[in-house]
Amino acid sequence: MGEAIVITSGKGGVGKTTTTANLGTALALQGKKVCLVDTDIGLRNLDVILGLENRIIYDLVDVVEGRCKIHQALIKDKRVDEKLFLLPAAQTTDKNAVTPEQMKSLVEELKRDYDYVLIDCPAGIEQGYRNAVAGADHAIVVTTPEISAVRDADRIIGLLEQEEITAPKLIINRIRQHMMKSGDTLDVNEITTHLSIDLLGIIIDSEGVISSSNKGEPIVMDPSNKASLGYRNIARRILGESVPLMAIQDEQRGMFSKLKALFSK
Amino acid sequence: MKKQLVNMKGTKDGFVLRLDDQCAYGELVEELKNKVLEGGIDGKVDVQLYLGYRYCTEEQLNELIKIIEETEQLIVSKVQSEVLTVHESNQKMFESQQDTYIGVVRSGQILRSSGDITIIGNVNPNGRVEAGGNVYVLGRLKGIAHAGVQGNKEAIIAASRFEATHIMIADQVQVMSDEHVKAINQVEMTCAFIGYDGRITYDQIHALKNIRPLLNVSKGGS
Repeated sequence: MGEAIVITSGKGGVGKTTTTANLGTALALQGKKVCLVDTDIGLRNLDVILGLENRIIYDLVDVVEGRCKIHQALIKDKRVDEKLFLLPAAQTTDKNAVTPEQMKSLVEELKRDYDYVLIDCPAGIEQGYRNAVAGADHAIVVTTPEISAVRDADRIIGLLEQEEITAPKLIINRIRQHMMKSGDTLDVNEITTHLSIDLLGIIIDSEGVISSSNKGEPIVMDPSNKASLGYRNIARRILGESVPLMAIQDEQRGMFSKLKALFSK
Repeated sequence: MKKQLVNMKGTKDGFVLRLDDQCAYGELVEELKNKVLEGGIDGKVDVQLYLGYRYCTEEQLNELIKIIEETEQLIVSKVQSEVLTVHESNQKMFESQQDTYIGVVRSGQILRSSGDITIIGNVNPNGRVEAGGNVYVLGRLKGIAHAGVQGNKEAIIAASRFEATHIMIADQVQVMSDEHVKAINQVEMTCAFIGYDGRITYDQIHALKNIRPLLNVSKGGS
């Protein structure tokens, strides 16, 4: 029997889907059998980020409405050998096509075959959110060091605390090291004490995340990237290892910019 | 001789107008009218109205006060009564309740209490606390607090760190714009209350002992 983890944030565009794709891949790389469930019905993205868009035949709504068997709708990610699967969302209908009860029994069924079921939650706190949370055992809240994202994270944590799940864990995404160093964005400690939940990990902002998403290949596949390391660390923490938090430091400046700084004095 | 229904007495606390609590209300009004017109008083005098065990509705009470104050010599400073309705008594009981909440009041959450409420934890921005009595926050108050929801102007709001966005006491509202932030010169250990001018005022918690002495109900400490 596996565990179901919902990845949510309240606010849109903070990186829920990217986090789901990367954590799922990282867990699969660690040898766990992982199923990713996209619950953003009507605005699906997870398949695109994983580069599996053109392999969708059936989707979540087809499964729920009994038009196909669950294994027919699951798409296998060939990069991670027999370990990573995706249940895509439907694009033609909306979030009311599924009820929380249906989601719950679907996730229960998936938990039997997989070690981890990662549920990608849509933005907002309406039907889509209720569906995503229905079957989950644990929750991960993603936020960025911006006041609006932290506000929404606070709201969503309040809602999650009323569900029958374990205490939510926090991921702070898209940290710009130089801005956090200079105090221009909220600091990791500040966010964690404000939200008063456990910090699961931090992800340092990297342009590689955007380019790899566009290529349909999760950044975790590139072991040299800082963001990738962040996701790998989080995956190891989920598996119960204790991994120290990544240090935030100024990016190494290149030769050219060093020279420029010298002359601009 | 007929029993007097209205008695005017001088006590050490000042003039007391004692009204009989057994006679009919109409008779009482008649006699009160005559009594206050008798005169014999120089200048303006404060009187206390003592109703005994008679229950007066709001309108009746206003009528009595109007009769007395129409003389333009007597001013009712205080109304005393020995009776409470069940409703008022319940209200008092609810307001004297004490609730405790442990945890964070997060954005979008509303915490309500009929009496005093103690929050052990923070009140985050957009989190809201409403209490019939006082609000005490053992943590950072960064959201909205409303004390004395039913109209109790004596209610106070106290917090370890007072960084609220909105403060409401009874029917007074204060939004923490820049100028009011300056009114709170120190956010640590601060409380808000309705001051003498009828507006929300801030002070350090240690000053509360003098501002609301009735809040102090504990014994000992000497």
